[in-house]
Amino acid sequence: MTPEKNVSNNPAPCGVDTRTPVSQRLNEDEVSCRMAAEGVKIKVTINQQIVEVTARTTILQAAKQVNIHIPTLCYHPDLCVAGVCRICVVEVEGQKALQTACSYPITEPIVVQTSTPKVRRARRHILDLMLSEHYGECYSCVRNNNCELQSLAKEYGVDFYRFGHVHEPKYVVDSSSYSVVRDMNKCILCRRCVRTCIDLQEVGVLEAINRGAQTKIATFMDKPLADVVCINCGQCINRCPTGALRANDPSDDIWAAIDDPDKHVIIQTAPSPRAAIGEAFGAAPGTSLTREMNTALRRCGFSKVFDTDFTADLTILEEGTELLLRLKKALVDKDAGVALPQFTSCSPGWVKYLEHFFPEYIPNMSTAKSPQQMFGTIMKTYYAQKNNIDPAKIVTVALMPCSAKKFECNRPEMSDSGYKDIDYGLTTREMAQMIQEAGIDLLSLPKSDFDDPFGEASGAGVIFGATGGVMEAALRSVVEIVTGLKAEQVFENLEVKPIRGFEGIKYMELKIPQVGPVPEILKNLKIANWDFLNGATLKIAVAHGTANAKKVMEDIKAGGKFSECHFIEFMACPGGCLGGGGQPIPTSPEIREARAKAIYAEDESQKIRKSHENPYVLKIYKEFFTDGPCSEKSHHLLHTHYINRGKAIV
Amino acid sequence: MLESERLRLSQEIEDLAAKYNYQRQSLLPILQAIKTKHHHISDFALQEVARLLSIHPVEVYGVVSFYSFLSTSQQGNFVIRLCRTISCELAGKDVIARQLQNELGIKFGETTADGRFSLFWANCLGMCDQGPALLINDYVFTKVTADQVFDILEACRRSFGVFALQGRNTLNSEAAVQSNVKTGVSVESGVLSNNDLNQGLKASIQGTPENVIQIIKESGLKGRGGAGFPTHIKWELAAKSKSEQKYVVCNADEGEPGTFKDRMLISDYPDLVLEGMTIAGYALGAKSGIVYLRGEYSYLLKSLQKAVDARRAQHLLGADILGKKGFTFDVDIRLGSGAYVCGEETALIESLEGQRGEPRNRPPFPVNTGYNSNPTIVNNVETFVMAAHILAKGPGWLKQQGTKLSTGTKLFSVSGNCAHPGIYEFPYGVTISELLRKVGGEDAKAVQVGGASGRCVPRSQFEHIIAFEDIPTGGSVIVLGPDTSMLNVAKNFLEFFNEESCGQCTPCRIGNRRLLEGVEMLEEGKCSIKYLRELQNLGKSMQLASKCGLGQSSPNAFLSITEYFKDEILGKVHETVQLEKGGTRA
Repeated sequence: MTPEKNVSNNPAPCGVDTRTPVSQRLNEDEVSCRMAAEGVKIKVTINQQIVEVTARTTILQAAKQVNIHIPTLCYHPDLCVAGVCRICVVEVEGQKALQTACSYPITEPIVVQTSTPKVRRARRHILDLMLSEHYGECYSCVRNNNCELQSLAKEYGVDFYRFGHVHEPKYVVDSSSYSVVRDMNKCILCRRCVRTCIDLQEVGVLEAINRGAQTKIATFMDKPLADVVCINCGQCINRCPTGALRANDPSDDIWAAIDDPDKHVIIQTAPSPRAAIGEAFGAAPGTSLTREMNTALRRCGFSKVFDTDFTADLTILEEGTELLLRLKKALVDKDAGVALPQFTSCSPGWVKYLEHFFPEYIPNMSTAKSPQQMFGTIMKTYYAQKNNIDPAKIVTVALMPCSAKKFECNRPEMSDSGYKDIDYGLTTREMAQMIQEAGIDLLSLPKSDFDDPFGEASGAGVIFGATGGVMEAALRSVVEIVTGLKAEQVFENLEVKPIRGFEGIKYMELKIPQVGPVPEILKNLKIANWDFLNGATLKIAVAHGTANAKKVMEDIKAGGKFSECHFIEFMACPGGCLGGGGQPIPTSPEIREARAKAIYAEDESQKIRKSHENPYVLKIYKEFFTDGPCSEKSHHLLHTHYINRGKAIV
Repeated sequence: MLESERLRLSQEIEDLAAKYNYQRQSLLPILQAIKTKHHHISDFALQEVARLLSIHPVEVYGVVSFYSFLSTSQQGNFVIRLCRTISCELAGKDVIARQLQNELGIKFGETTADGRFSLFWANCLGMCDQGPALLINDYVFTKVTADQVFDILEACRRSFGVFALQGRNTLNSEAAVQSNVKTGVSVESGVLSNNDLNQGLKASIQGTPENVIQIIKESGLKGRGGAGFPTHIKWELAAKSKSEQKYVVCNADEGEPGTFKDRMLISDYPDLVLEGMTIAGYALGAKSGIVYLRGEYSYLLKSLQKAVDARRAQHLLGADILGKKGFTFDVDIRLGSGAYVCGEETALIESLEGQRGEPRNRPPFPVNTGYNSNPTIVNNVETFVMAAHILAKGPGWLKQQGTKLSTGTKLFSVSGNCAHPGIYEFPYGVTISELLRKVGGEDAKAVQVGGASGRCVPRSQFEHIIAFEDIPTGGSVIVLGPDTSMLNVAKNFLEFFNEESCGQCTPCRIGNRRLLEGVEMLEEGKCSIKYLRELQNLGKSMQLASKCGLGQSSPNAFLSITEYFKDEILGKVHETVQLEKGGTRA
């Protein structure tokens, strides 16, 4: 990967305003700045091979260009360089000490050796030292066979503990959070989690504390994770090289429910897991396994396998209608109190972020529940009634790419059905584990469809998994509902290009060329016509990763361009749900890109690609939410409220 | 906490933050002020500071927990810090430690029930020639004897502050900072004199900045902090960097065990230090200077500030210095908070920026990406003093003494088992045996040159010279007498590094822990030669692979001691262990 690409893909390139490690700051002397700008090539010799690189390429990147492998541990393509683990040390001619390949910017022709006796011995010693402090046996670890420390031990042929090994845990495992479990006994202090939390996400839960031999990673005042301002995004888990961070795994309880003949266990699956679960079985990133996974889930013992995309479509109708109502209030009723822009509410990490960091903007948050939670409510009301099942016996499992969904389903207010709407949030990783445990080879399974009645979904629901997807889905419907035109006439091949891709913050303006009649489904809204929107310019924005969300929110606070938006999509995770904290490990810009491709391909292959055309969605409005979107009943079951949490915890 | 107390504290922190313009760079001064007033920094205070500086509370917590002098738990009105490093150890700090615990009824790390006293170890107070030394709040006590302990504590108990302590063996009474300077050179080199004060500055501004750097270059001046980097290269690179804002930083974070000459320079010759900084400011085109004074020397803050103010009044600092239009330079003093590693230049810069004092990756170097990302030079106190003299006396002056590669004289802090500990000036090239003769330590079995990160030189190598080309030093010379337990010396240093490593990189953080365990095995007579060799190899890897210079030098003492004193340390059960197991000292 070229460095330029890295920067553009990085959802939150470290800026000087954040706690940027100095290695990333750009105040190098003029000469090398100019060289870099002019693309001046520098010849570097690595293990006798000559490679030409642009100024400020690191040794690590240069080595990659000539396929020379240098081991890394604290380095991560999404994060600022730390240079703390030291495993990537190499010899640079003329330098007495070894240099870290990950942090060393090339500004002059240098001669590098990556495998000298000194280098090999130092790397082995570093590894031996880490192992001497790393508590835990590989076979009782969630990261067994997918652990960077373990792989390195294998790579360097570690066959004994040169400097001893820990036999007793030193720290209590913190499993206070519904989402993230911290086991500091396995921590090797690479600080990826710190850089993820402070720099990439700008949430600031984790930091190194103390000094010297007492150094460890901790929360504010070493409080349990549940008591600090964690948004549960789980990005730290995705980047932890060992098993020190993991999701709170409910699979034992789910197996127990499956094994209980009295229980009717239903699983809904979000769009992102299917585009990624193959990775856990050795498939290349971007391998879509939707229908193979359906078979696997049935074989695991789930009674019904439903598609969350169905409620994604429902969300579009509820959220889209909510937006139209807000616009009407603002433009027709001249209600100054109406909160605009409206924010999307399907990312539970983002929801909690807003509640903590910008609670004054809670009125802007769409009250529509996330697709996961809408699904749960419908299961334990509409579905239960229709199929004559006692909702008390229904166990709802949500297969999600997300660790925050575990927290979301445990929010006390998420029980509008009279029961806990969703019983368990299960991550892609945990599902893969359950499938493996059941002895199922996912990749070779026959395909099967989702169960009815919630098996039909539109392509609009599928793209919820990618950043910009919720907005794109909303636009496809809103444009058609308001203008009376076919969305295809407005967006070529139904692709809303300006809001696709991984740019951190995307912005777009859309002129409404004409208005059509108010469709039947919205008749209860008492909107006579769309004239108030005729000729109007709809301003929308998309941000992914909370660091980008923060930028947008601060702009809104300052009255900048985003404050004039009408609708903004926020997703807590870089790349959107496909980069969620519950997805297979590892993650990188390339992996997320491949997953996105799979998701957009699935959308394109769908017969129905607009939420409001989903026949089952129309049916549920006919049979159950008979007063249409944003009616009293839908408000009761499909909408929620938020809590002003604030940042203060003491 | 009562709501009214919270409001009051909140207001207080708001005032502090406003005073410092709500800048992250002021995190340390703000925390220091809160700690001084409230004897701790509560979780609520941390949260308030974070809110006002727009950073995350956990970052503030990370910073507070990094520095020894900051604390989140309540400490006593009198915080006693007994120096535990090797010179004070040789001077008998254990006796004082036991007596302190007996009198107070608490252990180290604890606070008395009445909340009056807290007892801690300190890692080198820079009073190595006058140990055992202890610090009570801002007051230093030297050459403490066991029978004084009660009196010292009584004086605290009976006072509202420590004012009553003045004059009782302390070094703080402003006029009487006891510097203990011995003259080591027969030739009067003039380093320790104010005779040519400000002549260097006057000479500088008559020429061009390039000229100043040229003179420094001709003199052959190398950094006096220990690494010996040619001063003119640093200055030249920073001078060439195009930037509106540049900084001249004086590293007065003299934390290397056994070093105390900078303390004397700051207290006795502050003008020379400031003059040297001003010259550097002129050479670089820098407008701002910062003195980073270690927290252990906070009692020098007042006199140093006075010197700064006086120079400002004399137009030696500020705008248009000495009438030279456009030459503006001023100096700020910043206090450290008890962290040895902040003596490493990039850690020092991190600390100035309100961060944990963790060394940075290099490159980039401070000369182009330093404080606040601006070009910055960091030089030792003594380097600035030398620069002032060189500009006054010309480049030839430095070359009159020393060796070809190490020109001039050097200040040495001599402590340990010798008749006349104190501060000496010797030319580079002095042999260790010559030095020992001067200080009355001829019977030494080894000399630790360069402090904890330096090298332990055995008797067989006493004819080696102290110079950058042979045995380099920042000035620390600890004489180890014939009865010294070398293993104890190694242990003391490794305990030091286990506490003082910044903890970010693997080799230094974990490596020093393994080395310390190895020494403990040796103490018990339970270390195989095979394992000792593994540890020695580990030490070599630490030298190569640690992130910063301090980490790279942390195994030096262990390596030299286990190399040169094998006969003394192998297969023996050592005295300290015998004592712990119920034996008696002979």
